Amino acid sequence: MSNRRVKSLAIDEDDYDDFEDYDDDDDEDLSPEDKEQLRQGTIKVREALGSAFPSTDKEIHESLWHYYYDVGKTVTYLKSTASNTEAFIHLLTQSGQHKSPGTPAKTKKEEPTSKLSTSYCPTALPRTYQTDRGGHDGLQATISHKNADGDQEFTSSTIPSIQFSAAEFFKDCPWLRIPENRKAEILIEPLYPRLGLLGGASTGGKMSKLAALAAKRRQKEGERSESTATSSAESQDGYTARLNKLRISVDNRAKPVAGREADTPRKTGVGVRPDSEVTEQLNEQHRSEPSSDVGTVVSSDLSISVEPCIRGRPSPFASIMTSHDADIRLSASPDLLALGEIAKSFDFTEPSPDDVVRGAQNPKAATPAKAKAKEPAKAKSTGLAQGVQQLSVQETPKVKSKNIDVLAEYKKVKRKKAANFVVIGHVDAGKSTLMGRLLFDLKAVDERTMDKYRKEAERIGKGSFAFAWVLDQGTEERERGVTIDIATNKFETDKTNFTILDAPGHRDFVPNMIAGASQADFAVLVIDASTGNFESGLKGQTKEHALLVRSIGVQRIIVAVNKMDAVDWSQGRFEEISQQMSAFLTSAGFQSKNVTFVPCSGLEGGNILEKPSNPKASWYAGPTLVEELDQSEPSTYALDKPLRMTINDVFRGSMQNPLSVSGRIEAGNVQVGEHVVVMPSGERAQIRSLEVDDEPQDWAVAGQNVVINLTDIDPIHLKTGDVLCSGVSPILNVREFKAKVLAFDHITPMNIEVHKGRLHVPGRIGQLIGLLDKSTGTILKKKPKIVQPGSVVRVVVQLDQPVPLEAPSRVILRANGETVAAGLLE
Amino acid sequence: MSDRRRLNGPAGTTSPPVFALSKSSTKSSQKRTRKPNELRKIFLQTGVVPSATGSAYLELESPPESKPGLLNTSSTLKLSCSVHGPKPLPRTASFSPNLQLSASVKFAPFATCVRQGYIRDSTERDIGMHLETALKGVVIPDRWPKSAIEIAVTVLEGEDDQVDGDRIGGVGLFNLLAGCINVSMAALADARVDCLDLLAAGVGAVVPGPGKPFRVLDPASIEHDLILASCLVGYLPSRDEIVEIWSNGSVSNLGRDEDIGFDGLVDSAVAAARGSQTVIKEVLIESLTRTEVGAEKLPNDGMNDVDMNT
Repeated sequence: MSNRRVKSLAIDEDDYDDFEDYDDDDDEDLSPEDKEQLRQGTIKVREALGSAFPSTDKEIHESLWHYYYDVGKTVTYLKSTASNTEAFIHLLTQSGQHKSPGTPAKTKKEEPTSKLSTSYCPTALPRTYQTDRGGHDGLQATISHKNADGDQEFTSSTIPSIQFSAAEFFKDCPWLRIPENRKAEILIEPLYPRLGLLGGASTGGKMSKLAALAAKRRQKEGERSESTATSSAESQDGYTARLNKLRISVDNRAKPVAGREADTPRKTGVGVRPDSEVTEQLNEQHRSEPSSDVGTVVSSDLSISVEPCIRGRPSPFASIMTSHDADIRLSASPDLLALGEIAKSFDFTEPSPDDVVRGAQNPKAATPAKAKAKEPAKAKSTGLAQGVQQLSVQETPKVKSKNIDVLAEYKKVKRKKAANFVVIGHVDAGKSTLMGRLLFDLKAVDERTMDKYRKEAERIGKGSFAFAWVLDQGTEERERGVTIDIATNKFETDKTNFTILDAPGHRDFVPNMIAGASQADFAVLVIDASTGNFESGLKGQTKEHALLVRSIGVQRIIVAVNKMDAVDWSQGRFEEISQQMSAFLTSAGFQSKNVTFVPCSGLEGGNILEKPSNPKASWYAGPTLVEELDQSEPSTYALDKPLRMTINDVFRGSMQNPLSVSGRIEAGNVQVGEHVVVMPSGERAQIRSLEVDDEPQDWAVAGQNVVINLTDIDPIHLKTGDVLCSGVSPILNVREFKAKVLAFDHITPMNIEVHKGRLHVPGRIGQLIGLLDKSTGTILKKKPKIVQPGSVVRVVVQLDQPVPLEAPSRVILRANGETVAAGLLE
Repeated sequence: MSDRRRLNGPAGTTSPPVFALSKSSTKSSQKRTRKPNELRKIFLQTGVVPSATGSAYLELESPPESKPGLLNTSSTLKLSCSVHGPKPLPRTASFSPNLQLSASVKFAPFATCVRQGYIRDSTERDIGMHLETALKGVVIPDRWPKSAIEIAVTVLEGEDDQVDGDRIGGVGLFNLLAGCINVSMAALADARVDCLDLLAAGVGAVVPGPGKPFRVLDPASIEHDLILASCLVGYLPSRDEIVEIWSNGSVSNLGRDEDIGFDGLVDSAVAAARGSQTVIKEVLIESLTRTEVGAEKLPNDGMNDVDMNT
């Protein structure tokens, strides 16, 4: 298309050349005097007409030429011309006339009556630009008609278009013999730029209404007219812009090809079409009756380009939600500021209004205490850890402490004696059976249960173990017929509540036995009286257990010589055993008054609760086992010392008490609501409730076996062997301690395991400080390399991990599964 | 006296009430008054949710007259979108060198004529997936390794498809998704998430005309009795790329007119997207200038606020 336009330009230039030949001739004809006269006349005419008159120099020159420099006539002519042609040319801007070089030049050469030539131009002189204009006007009308359905650029339809008449257009042409050149022009010219028609104010001069309107519109939508007209004519800009506007909106997608197409005058709705179609299209448009067909085409093409202004106003909902009105926000903010200035910010270092009132009410006490309480910040700054600790203590009063004076309560209550005893002895000495029989005889186990045990035991061929099953509850224990872990059971006599701690006799389970023995007040050493078994026991666990319980601190021991039925209640055998054992026990450190011997038979039940029915045992006149147990003196406990309790077991008690520990209180007392510290973890916990002997209590004292339900602690901080102690004076974790120990074996600096109750940790003997005299305690030899069994030595023990241990406690040192030493922590 | 432990129903049978439609509501189908190439007016605002990283609210222009009838069908759309992130991936998640984008669309219970619960249904999941696909095409994910971004669109009012106010589907769904994409893009831009371009979505359709079918932009389902084909595109205008396309219906057998093929349909959707993008762009520029103004004002206010007696 562009090349076509270039071609048309070339044709135009040819035309111009024709006329310019004349002009050139004329100019040559003009003498300098004429020129001077022309110039002066022009000035005069301009003065007469006034500056606002729309006439060009050329017009004035022409008129002057015709009227032979008569200024008056020229002025009247020009005025009349202006009024005559107003109907036509008020559409045409001055620039438009400027750009029509042909007409004036021609009229100048013709007769003076050519003053009407302008008005006849369209018909008489179908020159290029007139044809062009006519075509465009027609086109304009058509388009505006098509866009009439709501297009905002509807103003273009106000242009009074010239009624195009083909008859007039071809008036001077012979029918069907239109000159070739004119044909070409008709075909081509409609595409020619309109050159500043339609109020394009690209050059100076007074704007027509339309021009003003267009200019305004262009200004408004200036940024969207992205025409990149690069052609030489500056009016091209305005033209393309208007063309773009005619196209309803700018198609952005056209941008890539805009460089080519912007130069090319493109018809709205026509798009790029073959040349031959252009005329048809034009003709259709000339008829200015858009058929439905064309309409569809146009609209479908238009549908690609979008209406530009689609930004909507918010609905009431949206305007509330987004607070779209910026003014409201802005006006609100100063108010807030003003409010902030009026309201005085509260100085928190001062006492609050409440404090002022209360201070006035009780002026003495309130103020200092209150001030302290109200100033957590200050407290933190002085002693942060302390403050935090205080806060944590005060903030969780979930369980209220009743603040019971436990000691006073304890004294008030008259209670039965309570005693724990541990049953020790060599494996298969009959400890569990003896205790089972004891419980059965005391009706602590009912007949029915016992029958069941008997049947079951007989079924697996171990009928003699039936009583042992009372205490040995575990399936493994029953299958193997040995006790593995400590079993506890309770029974009561008329005087005392007893707790049995049935210890395992097997040497592999000595640590469990230590754990049980540490809770005992006294011990029952069960000895197998049958031939050979006593002797083997004396070398084995009978000896070790006796030594251990003594080291742990048990002072009283009852030696139950069991299985007397197996030796036919032989008095000789009983006395033999008594002699040997008393000698051994005395050497082990038991006082002879604290050692008693009782013959009995666990399986038959002789001399346990009642005197033996067997006539062979008539020689024995001493007390029965139960009578002997009742003889036990209640041991005294340090009730007023800080709380110490080694945890024997950690378990989930019930839904209400998700975390419970059991054990025996070694020292001090405890009550519900109290805060305790668990060592070695150092975590704090609160006591939610207490159970003493399966009955809920508010308090408990040393010597009692308790179940404590804890809160405010994670179970991971609790394990068996940990120590529950009072929060005020907690037990300390140590890594190294000195101890005075009795050696059971050769002691050198070596790896050992330290046992204290349930607690057992690996460590080593770091140093042997000195060998001590057994009775006086004086140092016999400093820093011995090795210590003989049976001697007392002071050692330094280093531990792998810190454990809670304190001075007056008994520890047992074991190595390779054997007890090597036991002693007292210093 | 048979069963007194339970609340029994009535002994006889009952029939539920049936409401007759009133005259006004039966023929409430509005005809399209817009021109084929005219989009509905879009209102968009960013920064509406203060707690989100970025947020936007979009609504389509409501029809000027809405007769309060028994069955009130509307062709409007109200969407709110919030962007949370980019935030670090949870520790349990596996390593990802890219930004993990997840988008979800949720209907408010009152969004449609038929109330619905809070259970995520297939429509929401479907739109959410399309939205996610579209947005994944525009964000530059490798700017944020090991992070995630969540885009949540809440439909406050959805377009009702039919007069009887059934669930959303068809063109209503397209318009909804287009709105979701537009509002999400605005929110993403508001969150300052790096993107390739300003994504915009638009819907075009072919409707039967008086003579032959013609194309319309942004068709509202209640304005047209029949829609022959519709198409949604998510479009990056400055790159001339389509990141999401979803079309419905058939254009191949529409007749002899070669102008409207599938390409023509897509072209119309693209044009609609271009139109929407102008709004998004305008709004974002506006919000930017507003925040700049706000930022200039802020220091003074801040000085006053911070001045506390300590």
